[in-house]
Amino acid sequence: MILAADGRVVIVGAGQAGAWVARTLRDEGFTGEVTLIGAEAYHPYERPPLSKDVLKGADAATTGALLTAGQAQALGITCLLSQTVTAIDRAMRQVTCVSGQTLPYDVLFLTTGSRPRPLPWPEGEGAERLHGLRTRDDALRLRSALDGAQSLAVIGGGLIGLEVAATARQSGLEVTVIEAGPRLCARSLPPVASDWLADLHRQNGVSLRMGETVAGVQSDGLGVTLTLGDGATLRVDQVLVGIGILPETGLAQSAGLTLNDGIVVDAEGRTSDPAIFAAGDATRQPCPMGAAPLRQETWANAQAQGIGAARAALGLAPTRVKLPWFWSDQYAANIQVLGRPDLAATCIEQTAPTADTASWRMLDAAGTLVGAVAVNAPRALRDVRKEMEKARAAKQA
Amino acid sequence: MTDWTDVAAVEDVPDEDVLGVVADGLRIALFRLEGEIFALHDLCSHGQAFLSDGFVEDGCVECPLHQGLIDIRTGAARSAPITEAVRSFPTRVIGDRVEVGL
Repeated sequence: MILAADGRVVIVGAGQAGAWVARTLRDEGFTGEVTLIGAEAYHPYERPPLSKDVLKGADAATTGALLTAGQAQALGITCLLSQTVTAIDRAMRQVTCVSGQTLPYDVLFLTTGSRPRPLPWPEGEGAERLHGLRTRDDALRLRSALDGAQSLAVIGGGLIGLEVAATARQSGLEVTVIEAGPRLCARSLPPVASDWLADLHRQNGVSLRMGETVAGVQSDGLGVTLTLGDGATLRVDQVLVGIGILPETGLAQSAGLTLNDGIVVDAEGRTSDPAIFAAGDATRQPCPMGAAPLRQETWANAQAQGIGAARAALGLAPTRVKLPWFWSDQYAANIQVLGRPDLAATCIEQTAPTADTASWRMLDAAGTLVGAVAVNAPRALRDVRKEMEKARAAKQA
Repeated sequence: MTDWTDVAAVEDVPDEDVLGVVADGLRIALFRLEGEIFALHDLCSHGQAFLSDGFVEDGCVECPLHQGLIDIRTGAARSAPITEAVRSFPTRVIGDRVEVGL
């Protein structure tokens, strides 16, 4: 399926991936109709600042703007906001919105993203003190709840939880992180980096409770009491839940697209329907390093995959798929991770660690370089990236 | 008329690399490509990153934080996430000194 110049494009999901699909179509000269449908009330914005700058008080309306109303208008991109799509009719090539409106398409992009995994028990009456963080509205709700709060419990020692923990500590709150596993960020960091990060949080006064589960949450209007797995209780003002995300695949599933914990796509975002592409958190894609297909829950992937899918729909030559990569900012540490930490068997120091910087190369069981972690050391990370790309090119040649 | 400000010694601007300087309170990133010196505002137009911490390759500087590419000669955006140009300044060499037109 190659999009004709006067074709009609519908993009479902107005986050990082959806906005880059729309932008790329226009950048590459597509002159047909582009309609971008978003569930939130806002024009596309970048989510990374939500847990940092926005939580600290930055202007939410302008921070991380990705496609403003003015830009969308200038580019001829129709944004349908506060709108959701309820069904895809693949035979008729049209989508139906919750409003009842139907939109025909020649090519459909699903950039539906993900949603925070909910707590495994009913929230009940304490719900107003329990927070997730995904959207701008979530961030504003959390910001207002933390304003005046003395203490915060973070359930889940992953990246979102730790970024919020860092921000809350910087605002003077007492912060406890409760992680069920033995180390922080077990999915996204190798053990040596988890340890470094745990030290960073302890030095900043965060109480880390590792290997600890939450058995119950009770709110009485003045605060929240968490009952921990060992029977102990913890009393706090507010709770952030950051226990992972789930890909938004409901629409794709109803439409009968091939799924595998994510919408299955090829390296250029093609789904099992030639008229439908998908990009971002909701997809499972081939691994550029040749390992098993993966879901990438990152800003960089949503951007790159969105661009790649738009180019593919236009029949343009594929650009080189980048190695998986993400960053996290906590306190004064910029942590960048390249490659596949899940494949790392050993880590070796790339540069000697100091109080503020560190970098490690990750090797798999066969001793092959599979990535790097760099703290305040972007050059070290780039060196590994170049090395891995060179090895990749040599393998493909 | 361009107001020229002395910012660095020519020999301090590394070949195919970058030097960060401050001129009149403004952070400037100086680059040398094939012997010619270029100056950009030393701030990525996407995030809060210094281009002088970036990487020079194929006439572009890569932002050290988010991997966006900026054309060193013009300041133009060359790859996502950069969508807006970075301000570019004229340069000239007087003797062994680099001057930037602010």
